Amino acid sequence: MADRMKLEGQLRTAVGTSSSAKLRKLGQTPAVMYGHKKESISFSINGHELTKGLHHGHRLYDIVFDGKAETLLVKDIQYDHLGKNIVHADFVRVNLAEKVTVTVDLEFKGTAQGTHEGGMVENHTSKIEIECKVSEIPESIPVLIKEIGVGDALHAGEVELPAGMTLVSDPETLILTCHILAVAKSSEELEEELPAGPEVITEKAREEEE
Amino acid sequence: MALMPKRVKYRKQMRGKMKGNATRGNFVAFGEYGLQTLETSWITGRQIEAGRIAATHFLHREGKVHIRIFPHHSYTSKPLEVRMGKGKAEVEGWVARVKPGNILYEIGGVPEEIARAALARVAYKMPVKCRFVTRRHSLG
Repeated sequence: MADRMKLEGQLRTAVGTSSSAKLRKLGQTPAVMYGHKKESISFSINGHELTKGLHHGHRLYDIVFDGKAETLLVKDIQYDHLGKNIVHADFVRVNLAEKVTVTVDLEFKGTAQGTHEGGMVENHTSKIEIECKVSEIPESIPVLIKEIGVGDALHAGEVELPAGMTLVSDPETLILTCHILAVAKSSEELEEELPAGPEVITEKAREEEE
Repeated sequence: MALMPKRVKYRKQMRGKMKGNATRGNFVAFGEYGLQTLETSWITGRQIEAGRIAATHFLHREGKVHIRIFPHHSYTSKPLEVRMGKGKAEVEGWVARVKPGNILYEIGGVPEEIARAALARVAYKMPVKCRFVTRRHSLG
């Protein structure tokens, strides 16, 4: 999404674990900005507003420091162990005219033909890396999968990109396949195949010594 | 058949401590939806297998189920009516040690409602509190 979201930022002088933890308790998210060969600056933003922005697909933010706005692109987001709350955010300085490499989600449209023939569509990845202008970063790239039959595969190179975007990912990257599912072995069959216990490496060595 | 390693260096292991939260294996990586543990626990190979059967049975061969944990850790137990001592007992089974945040199972290739229902059935088989999670947005 090319829209920019406006957020209020406060510069941080105290950095480190304890000061960041204090900020989080106050509902702020510690963040850092870097890029354009300028020094990196630590700051904090409203955690709730940032989460809201990310949920709405915003990547570009106008962060205002003392009345002066800076255009920043989200580079990385760190989550807590449950993946619920944002712990830290990385932003990179950008110009709207410059080109950047970003990871974009693929949105699969339609039902694959192979599913009507008894096949199953298996997603290997649902994102690709592209290079595009900062102002033209898409929220997702639609991919039509109607014509994919049983035994067919879709590679990154076959994805139709909007004008002005180039693929950075390996064109041979497998995105999805459609195949007939092999019948899963039952627990009894697996039991017959597998040995009763694991092979113990040290016991084998001891026997050889003896 | 309960899961267990194919080769191990030593058969019996110490119990160990399980402090803290999961720092790895705590996001959906293979499928689209996942089941995340909110507690620390040992999950036996039998429980993992029961969860897999519950999911595949509900999905009727649709979609794909990924098991994200493996029972690498052995545990021992003494038989009934045996006095204490006389050394460590024989291996009783194998467990996966999970911490809050670990993804246990993942499902892909099915709509969200079906994945949610399948993982709810899996959660009943687990000895821990679980929650349903989806894949994170991509950035960077």
